[in-house]
Amino acid sequence: MSQRLQLTLAILKPDIVANPSVLKNVWTRMLENGLYFVMSKRVQLSAVQAEQFYAEHRGKFFQNRLVCFMSSGPVWCHILCGDDVIGRWRRMLGPTKVLKTVFDQPDSIRGSFGLTDTRNCAHGSDADATAKKEVGFFFPEFDIDKWYKEQHKFFQNDLVEFDPDKLQHFAISDT
Amino acid sequence: MQEIHLDDNATSSIYTIPGYSIVNRLNHQQYGLKNLQRQFVISKINRPARVRFYDKQKMKALKVACGHGFTITSVKFQNKKFLLGSGINTDSQIGYHEAPKGSGRIMDQLIEPGRIRLPLERPDNCSVVSMACGRAHAVFVVEDEGVFSLGNNAYGQCGRSIVEGEEYSKNPTINRVRDLPDDVIKVVCGQDHTLFLTESGQVYSCGLGADGQTGCGHYKPVGHPVQVKGDIEGERIVSVGSRADCSLAVSDKGDVFGWGNSEYGQLGLVTEQTQVNTATRLPIPQCGRVIKAVAGGSLCALLNDAGQVYVWGFGILGKGPKLDTTVAPSLIPEPIFGRNELNPDTTVVDIDCGLTYMAAINDQGDLYTWGRNARGCLGLGEEKNQFFPWRVALPAQAVEFSCGTDHMAAICKSYT
Repeated sequence: MSQRLQLTLAILKPDIVANPSVLKNVWTRMLENGLYFVMSKRVQLSAVQAEQFYAEHRGKFFQNRLVCFMSSGPVWCHILCGDDVIGRWRRMLGPTKVLKTVFDQPDSIRGSFGLTDTRNCAHGSDADATAKKEVGFFFPEFDIDKWYKEQHKFFQNDLVEFDPDKLQHFAISDT
Repeated sequence: MQEIHLDDNATSSIYTIPGYSIVNRLNHQQYGLKNLQRQFVISKINRPARVRFYDKQKMKALKVACGHGFTITSVKFQNKKFLLGSGINTDSQIGYHEAPKGSGRIMDQLIEPGRIRLPLERPDNCSVVSMACGRAHAVFVVEDEGVFSLGNNAYGQCGRSIVEGEEYSKNPTINRVRDLPDDVIKVVCGQDHTLFLTESGQVYSCGLGADGQTGCGHYKPVGHPVQVKGDIEGERIVSVGSRADCSLAVSDKGDVFGWGNSEYGQLGLVTEQTQVNTATRLPIPQCGRVIKAVAGGSLCALLNDAGQVYVWGFGILGKGPKLDTTVAPSLIPEPIFGRNELNPDTTVVDIDCGLTYMAAINDQGDLYTWGRNARGCLGLGEEKNQFFPWRVALPAQAVEFSCGTDHMAAICKSYT
């Protein structure tokens, strides 16, 4: 366990945040897959913020409905960490086209709980650079370099404990 | 397990019930059962199960509608009529329920039906003409009183102005929808939009328009009902259908009009685009005189006056053991719905669809389902996808049914 762990941003979208049993199920799946929760936050996005967040999709036909949807209710944002966490989280989610995914990968999160192509459960960053940018967007107070310096070693050696109330893993302090 | 506030009227006197409700899998604690010794929750049911609540309370279910994780029913109890809701309530779509009273503890899910109190002039005589559920909102058309909506209004789907940053959970707002003619006879909800049909055959819409599903010529959310534009103007519409982001309407001449999402070829006959924002006539003369058309997430179906069912779009269309994609409606053979030598006149009388599955009833009261079997919602006793219509083993005749996103409910009457 010497490899440097990756960070990513996961957003649980309004469709599953509105559904308590599904929300719990998704969190359980994340924990069972060994993802660490570095920070968690419940946010209500405004249309303007959602538009900024999805600026890369400007001009695409689905951009408008994505922005509308993301600002329609509260979302949960999590900074996740783990070995190859970007790829693992995206694989857990399954492809974005939910109405196809429900047949192709019915056991993925989107295959199980997705409603339509827009109402597709969750978001995951697609690369290191975007993860950094997206974490900064939702958690401006989170200092990535400081975290790698101070906290990273605990997560790397699995010296962390999950706090279900704060939805966050905390380092076990040496006693 | 939560304690549920039951209406005071719900525990007295006796009333005979000719019909009863059967519910297919009410997940997310929609199907809660209270036992004297212990309480338990059934998280999913893959076969039809009778909802004992209505029998125990001596209520007769008149109408039922299923949304995303919640169910609403219109019931008759003694000489009163009122509304009940159960399931997820995180957007206050089934009302404001405080239990115990005065505690400030507001329910975000109900495991047993609780009363939905609309601001009516005669609250004990709530005759529902039509009601429908979307992803997180519910709309009711009440006789002589008007149209009421509650739940999430982030896109204006409740027919009131959109308030930026409004909190919908624990929100007691019930809206009486204005800007509508007095003769609304039917309401249909997509996931996040609402369609109203008037007796004179006009269609109004409000809510999310990002795919053009409101049909008013643009892709913006609509906070107050506006009339649908396009080929539909001047036609007398008799039926509308929408479950997700594609909308269909049928005129008294039997023509079908469509608007909204077409990513999976739902409107592929008239457009190559993924979205259409005005009602467009679909050229489908081969289908005969259409009486009803419904649209799910990626698939559509229609029913004609000969009782035949046509399907198109993408997904499990009910035509064989593979995923289908077709833009032109294709017929599901009649024998599948019970027409045979002994019953040569059997026809399908009603169809409906969920996001990825469909259901139909024939004139014998048999319920058929097919499509993606998410968490057993087809009620076939198993959770495998069903590739052609299969009869649900109901011990009674289905009179009315409703398809939610992953559950179904039907009102049935006994065979005798």
